[in-house]
Amino acid sequence: MKFVFVFLIGILFLGTQAEAQKVFGTRNGKITFASPTDDDVKSTNNEVASRIADNGQITFSALIKGFKFKYAEMQEHFNDQYLESNKFPRADFKGTIVNLKEVNFGKDGSYKVSVKGDLTLHGVTKNITVAGMIEIKGGKPLANCKFVIRMKDFNVDASSVTETVNAEVSCQYQ
Amino acid sequence: MQKWKKTILMIGGIGLLAALAVVLYVFLKPHRDVSKEKGVQLTAQALFDAFKTNEADANVRYLDKAIELNGEVADVNTNQDGHIVVNVKTNDPLFMINCTFKTNPGTLQPGQTITFKGICTGYIPDMNVVINEGVLVK
Repeated sequence: MKFVFVFLIGILFLGTQAEAQKVFGTRNGKITFASPTDDDVKSTNNEVASRIADNGQITFSALIKGFKFKYAEMQEHFNDQYLESNKFPRADFKGTIVNLKEVNFGKDGSYKVSVKGDLTLHGVTKNITVAGMIEIKGGKPLANCKFVIRMKDFNVDASSVTETVNAEVSCQYQ
Repeated sequence: MQKWKKTILMIGGIGLLAALAVVLYVFLKPHRDVSKEKGVQLTAQALFDAFKTNEADANVRYLDKAIELNGEVADVNTNQDGHIVVNVKTNDPLFMINCTFKTNPGTLQPGQTITFKGICTGYIPDMNVVINEGVLVK
């Protein structure tokens, strides 16, 4: 009987904890990337799915075929030769805000963050740490960050075009 | 002019033209126009079911294909670059078919049943199947 009572209290406590956690999401965040050496090599994806929780967990998913280029031929090469998007259709990031204590999701303001987690691209997973900014406005977060992706780190052989790309993430959550 | 000089000039000229043709091909090749393609016809629910049941199989069938979907509008939004985005319902309230429209579909209301065409870019588990380059059919 005592065990059942403790169990029920435990369930109630866990339930309260789960309820307390606030999760914000978007289906239409934005990622852009550009080559630092060739102005024509730049692309945007406006269908980035992302969730951010006030416990610091953060996820991003972007479909490779959703990256749009100015030139159709470049888009085809990107998908078929470099990122092999039929084989690896999605890029995912799953991480946490390292300095969560410095972010108040309940108070409007701008907060510098460091996010650490696993980025999976082209079938390769790498642990990365990126600096970014979370802006809370009207209770809704906007996350921004910039970082460099080395093609070689993800087994992408694009050396004839670019060795690195500068990636930029911008997600307005609801 | 000596014969060998003429030959070299001719080969050089042909090479230059070929290079020019490649450059023009790369920079002038038009993007796909989904409005001119015949889409695979199915319901939003059937597309969701296909991806949820077997993502790899659904990728083979639908990824990068022109899809013509029929479904009920859940909500209409604008993305961060100002394009219209329509979420179409599935039987899972948390899961949508997310379509970014290439052309403005006009005024759409939640609950309205629409038919639209676009290119399927894939599946994001627990979130949505993504369609872009959307055009309203009816």
